[in-house]
Amino acid sequence: MKNNFNHPYHLVDFSPWPLTGAIGVMTLVTGMIKWFHNFNMNLLILGYIIIIMTMYQWWRDICREGTLQGKHTMMVTKGLRWGMILFIISEIFFFISFFWAFFHSSLSPNIQIGSMWPPLSIIPFNPFQIPLLNTIILITSGVTVTWAHHAIMMNNKSQMTQGLFFTIILGIYFTMLQAYEYIEAPFSIADSIYGSTFFMATGFHGLHVMIGTLFLLICLIRHLKNHFSKNHHFGFEAAAWYWHFVDVVWLFLYISIYWWGN
Amino acid sequence: MTTILQRAAINYLRSSARSSSHAASAGSHGDWKLWKNLSLFVAMPAVGLGMLNAYLAHAEEHHERPEFVPYEYLRVRTKRFPWGDGQKSLFHNPHVNALPSGYEDH
Repeated sequence: MKNNFNHPYHLVDFSPWPLTGAIGVMTLVTGMIKWFHNFNMNLLILGYIIIIMTMYQWWRDICREGTLQGKHTMMVTKGLRWGMILFIISEIFFFISFFWAFFHSSLSPNIQIGSMWPPLSIIPFNPFQIPLLNTIILITSGVTVTWAHHAIMMNNKSQMTQGLFFTIILGIYFTMLQAYEYIEAPFSIADSIYGSTFFMATGFHGLHVMIGTLFLLICLIRHLKNHFSKNHHFGFEAAAWYWHFVDVVWLFLYISIYWWGN
Repeated sequence: MTTILQRAAINYLRSSARSSSHAASAGSHGDWKLWKNLSLFVAMPAVGLGMLNAYLAHAEEHHERPEFVPYEYLRVRTKRFPWGDGQKSLFHNPHVNALPSGYEDH
């Protein structure tokens, strides 16, 4: 590993992207509220443009600093690891709030929904059909991503490519099955607290699957461009951590919402 | 089915235990062959069985929708959806999702 760092701190270069990111997030959320109330998407679209431009340029800079400029020293990499760990912990709490809403509503169902769960006249999914298949798919993708990880640690480029490729395909397959389930669902997000908690929790999980798939896809592209090496591939490790996190959230969703809650 | 689930769960736990211990010491030697074999000969066939199970169960299912009853807690429209005519949810399917006034094809 390169050891010629300029200073002993966790610093790379000065960057405007945290500032533009903050402006983008503020614009996005304000624009979303404006959309909900006034049905006008202008500010929302502006927010998306700022966020997407920030993401593209920020991650482009990280790739340059880490891959081409050798600025990801041990100290910097340690900071990246901590950043990813803290980010995933904050994501865990994000999902805890949806599980809280679900258990709050399902453990003592209101009289207005028939004092029963699922509420009167709600037909939930059969957990042993497509949801079970989805569970197997995500667990399989956890195995294939480990295949890729072991391959890169042993300097095997083509095995890393294969493992990563299968993981991405499984992620896309999961998303397609969820889309099918959503379209075929006999209940919607507006159908009682059941629909609200169901689509809020599984919808945000689905969004995370798509983000995780994209993260792994970027890793595959970077891998094919030889950005990673045997001992310098934290971008891929972070994607694998994130993918395992998404996988574990699904197991909780499957057990509590699809299975127990049906 | 439970055996498939069990086997898959064991694989999963094994894989996460391995990957986390390897992440800590990135230089240690992992054997990708084991994971490739587990993927191709255990996990992928399990996916195939899951597909078969879902397909067969789907084929013998009855597709009858319940009669429309205007319960107050269903089809809630306290505010219009911010898209389209504001009456249809994002994944609206006219065959199975009724509007507050009933099914569209009724």
